[in-house]
Amino acid sequence: MIRLPSWPVLLLLVVAVAVFAALPWMAGLYTVKFATRILAVAIFVMSLDILIGVTGLVGFGHAAFFGLGAYAVWFVTPTDDGANLLVALAAASGLAGLGAAVVGFFAVRTRGFYFIMVTLAASQMMFALFHDTRIAGGSDGASIDVKPYLEIAGRTVLDFQNRNTLLWFALAGLVAAYALVLVLVRSRFGRVLQGLAANETRMNALGFDGQRYKWAAFVVAGTLAGFAGALFASIDGFVPPEILGWRESGLAIMMVVLGGVGTLWGSILGAVVYSLAEEVLKSGHWVGPLVSEHWPIAMGVFLIAAVLGAPKGLAGLFPARPARPWRAPSDADRAEAAATTPAPMLEVAGLSRSFGGLSAVSEVSVAFAPNLIHAVIGPNGAGKTTFTNLITGALPVSAGTIRLDGSDITGLSAAAKARRGIGRSFQRTNILGKMTVAENCAVAAQARGSAGASRAEEERAVAHALAAVGLVDRADRVATSLSHGEQRQLEIAMLMASGARLLILDEPLAGSGPEETARLTALLRDLAADHTILLVEHDMDAVFSCADTISVLVNGRLIAHGSPDDIRRDAGVREAYLGRFAGLEDAA
Amino acid sequence: MSLALVADAPAAAARSLLEATAIATCHGRTPCLRDVAFRVGEGETVSLLGRNGMGKTTLLRTLTGLLSGGPTASIRFAGRELSGARPAVISRAGIALVPEGRGIFPNLTVLENLTLPARRGPNGKAEWTLARVLDLFPRLAERRDNWGDQLSGGEQQMLSIGRALMTNPELLMLDEATEGLAPKVRDEIWATIRAVAATGMSIVVVDKNLEDLFDLADRHVVLAKGEIVFEGTTEDLKADPDLVHRWLGV
Amino acid sequence: MDLVLVQIFNGIQYGFLIFLAASGLTLVFGILGVINLAHGSFYMLGAYMALTLTQMTGDVFLAVALGIPLAVAFGAVIEWAFVRHLYARDHLQQVLLTFALILIFNEVQRIGWGSYPHSVPIPSYLSGSIRLTDTLAYPVYRLALTAICAALAAAMFLVIQKTKIGRLIRAGESNREMTELLGFDSRLLYRVVFAAGTALAALAGMLAAPVESVYPGIGERILIISFVVVVIGGIGSIKGAFLGSLVIGVADALGKVFLPNLAGVVVYAMMAAVLVARPGGLFGRMVR
Repeated sequence: MIRLPSWPVLLLLVVAVAVFAALPWMAGLYTVKFATRILAVAIFVMSLDILIGVTGLVGFGHAAFFGLGAYAVWFVTPTDDGANLLVALAAASGLAGLGAAVVGFFAVRTRGFYFIMVTLAASQMMFALFHDTRIAGGSDGASIDVKPYLEIAGRTVLDFQNRNTLLWFALAGLVAAYALVLVLVRSRFGRVLQGLAANETRMNALGFDGQRYKWAAFVVAGTLAGFAGALFASIDGFVPPEILGWRESGLAIMMVVLGGVGTLWGSILGAVVYSLAEEVLKSGHWVGPLVSEHWPIAMGVFLIAAVLGAPKGLAGLFPARPARPWRAPSDADRAEAAATTPAPMLEVAGLSRSFGGLSAVSEVSVAFAPNLIHAVIGPNGAGKTTFTNLITGALPVSAGTIRLDGSDITGLSAAAKARRGIGRSFQRTNILGKMTVAENCAVAAQARGSAGASRAEEERAVAHALAAVGLVDRADRVATSLSHGEQRQLEIAMLMASGARLLILDEPLAGSGPEETARLTALLRDLAADHTILLVEHDMDAVFSCADTISVLVNGRLIAHGSPDDIRRDAGVREAYLGRFAGLEDAA
Repeated sequence: MSLALVADAPAAAARSLLEATAIATCHGRTPCLRDVAFRVGEGETVSLLGRNGMGKTTLLRTLTGLLSGGPTASIRFAGRELSGARPAVISRAGIALVPEGRGIFPNLTVLENLTLPARRGPNGKAEWTLARVLDLFPRLAERRDNWGDQLSGGEQQMLSIGRALMTNPELLMLDEATEGLAPKVRDEIWATIRAVAATGMSIVVVDKNLEDLFDLADRHVVLAKGEIVFEGTTEDLKADPDLVHRWLGV
Repeated sequence: MDLVLVQIFNGIQYGFLIFLAASGLTLVFGILGVINLAHGSFYMLGAYMALTLTQMTGDVFLAVALGIPLAVAFGAVIEWAFVRHLYARDHLQQVLLTFALILIFNEVQRIGWGSYPHSVPIPSYLSGSIRLTDTLAYPVYRLALTAICAALAAAMFLVIQKTKIGRLIRAGESNREMTELLGFDSRLLYRVVFAAGTALAALAGMLAAPVESVYPGIGERILIISFVVVVIGGIGSIKGAFLGSLVIGVADALGKVFLPNLAGVVVYAMMAAVLVARPGGLFGRMVR
């Protein structure tokens, strides 16, 4: 979770703001212009951190939106007058936001390398559009002869023609943008974005539509980049098409990483430090003529050292502010209110799934009654994981029906099923890494929002879940610092907090020692009081000691279903587990 | 045949080829191992038993260098200490693994899968040649020009075993040797493993078909929750059905 | 009509050059998992190397013969010094470090050769044009270049399909852990692949030097185009890179005739179309 800046950082930021504000009295025109450029770039780079650091999307074409904002100012500037400042800023943000909406619509459907490439291609297309055609001056660039100004009742209130006004406006813009973005990423919306960055699969399984959230983040980031572009265009009154190109996008990524990904203020710091470093290395006065002559080499070495030496960026050198301590809501004891919906009944009939002719699950029909623990066991490759994927909607079924409390949910999407109260854990650990235990549960509880839960109910659900799994005293720890067993407990707490009534747990005991196993099975027994649990597990001792029913899958078929005692006596099951040795017992 | 061998000479008397001690690992969700000691004698066939998730695969992956065995671990193989060595080094020292899932290269033909790792063994021996492997698995000879992903499960397993043999190892380890195969194919695989064992190859095999392993293995090792809970001959194991059901059954 | 025909020839020739560069990029990304933005710099350095070595030896083909071993060694050193630290890092840090390398290489180029465009002479025995039809002549060097590239492409397919190192590259692409288990040290494989990728890009630059003017930004154009080709063809697929290169080469050349202002857009629009229709590229992600 992105934190508020710690006190030393805040102090640093305040000092920096004071220095920038006082520049017109301390330095000449060149410095004021240089400082304004830093500020505009800082806003741009911070907007990129919304994508990279907050949402986990490496956009490699972000300069396109910066450039669109800059060109928008030219578009709204009349030939012999300056544009209305408000119109210019609105046009810049709007055009960039629109561009981001279009690009983002396609980009968020891809991941990783392909996301990088799609955003890169989009920005290169825009570059080609502005460079190769005569739109806005073509390769010569666009000149804005009179800069935007704001007139109210005949009086000029703000005029970007005035260097100092522009500096102060950009400074105010940066401060406001930082505050706004900070509020945004710490809001419920921002929490989901950070959840997506940490673990998209988990968030989708909790019922969040990841693509729509990513799209929204993309548009927000693009809009802010457009605003920064408008300021940038007003500095020199000149917009070259190169501003849209991949080098600018690459530089922005550099500044984000240099400053520290996912801290927001780090990206501001990155922009300032990069610009200053470039300026210092370029000036022979500071570093001598040999270095300044070949400053890109020094810059490259500096950046390589930064990547290899400080993977967390400059922000990593400052103390981070600890998370705000989690406090249970005063009415936490009313937690039962959160558990009003009864546990559901799950029935599957003729459930089948085949992959290219091979059937992984075939003709499984079984009913799982409420408030019980139902174990699903079987040898490796028996179809257990496919079976659970069919129920949660991660895979479409080939044939058969799935009914939850009598209503047919066979064709629903994974997210829709999650909203109906089906929660799942995965074989691999599925916590949200950088967040605290309480924040993990809070994001999960947010999934109830769409089911109509109030904030107070959400908070109570978090408190209830933490208490139930026994992690209250760990609430403020970062999730990754928990022990293996505690991480398992947290996964279960997240499922509880999400309001899921049917819990599908995929090997929750894998890798656990005897004590952890005992603790987790006891926890499952407690949970069964108000949940229906489907437990896929290899640990037979645990399964036989805690499950109410056991279903045995072999080669995708349900070969037995019944109480643990029934299963223990079942000849078919024995053979599945012991091979032909099953006959041995009769002989012995 | 192997049963008789056990009766005549207790396996423990054979000279050690592999001697692993104090293996203790815990890597997230892979099952932990707790102070495991595991040895294989020269020419010995050892079965590694235990239910899913009890650490069999973890042990095999540790022995092949894919996982660290922990700071205390020692893996001595043919007189060499291999703990901490890279998998490629361990492979060239003479340990071959037929992994769970078989690890066939889908984009190489059957012949290419076989010839890729072809080399002399650590002692310069070249007992296993392409001709001999194809002789052992006539089915592979028929399908020599098919892509790896065009094979049936049984053929893939044959290919994986054949490919391991092409490295001329001293020790062949098979994880889930017959998992997911039809009974007839299983019998074929067992027959070939027996044939390989008859050449004097040391073998570690993981499988859940006890009866087949009774015939095949000189010694059985049972893992449960990361610890070795039983070690002994087929007679010992057969004499104690309770033990079998406690650790392997349901 | 002649213009169209000439442009198709040019497009094919350009496509073959792109293929040399893109095949290196797709191998490095498919096997090492590293996004190498500095790949274009290797192309640029190759072009400048051709310039200097041609001045020294008098013949561009002698320059190429000397340049290839230099490029292989250079690639191995870069892998050892920088790239191997990136295998366990995320895309972001790979982008950053290789971007920093671009800065350095560009400056090295400026120190060594300055900012002005240069040209590399076409060898006298390949100068001049050849008559294809009554109205159409085509430069001999370009034809020779196309033939050389086609031969190189064929040789590359042979290496990938028929040799042990080719088998190992394909195996490493589909299952690295298994190749380790069979006794192949992936650190060595990675170094070899990276050095080969570097050499391919440099070779493309060297061969292109006589037909393109040699200028500082020459590598960046080929880098972006190569990425487009890798995405179109499917990551790690040599076959896909081959097809993608020819398609992009011809599309770019024809775009210049029919949509002179939008030629730059055509290439990216094609990539977007492929990604929408086949998100994994034309040839999935398997080298066969």
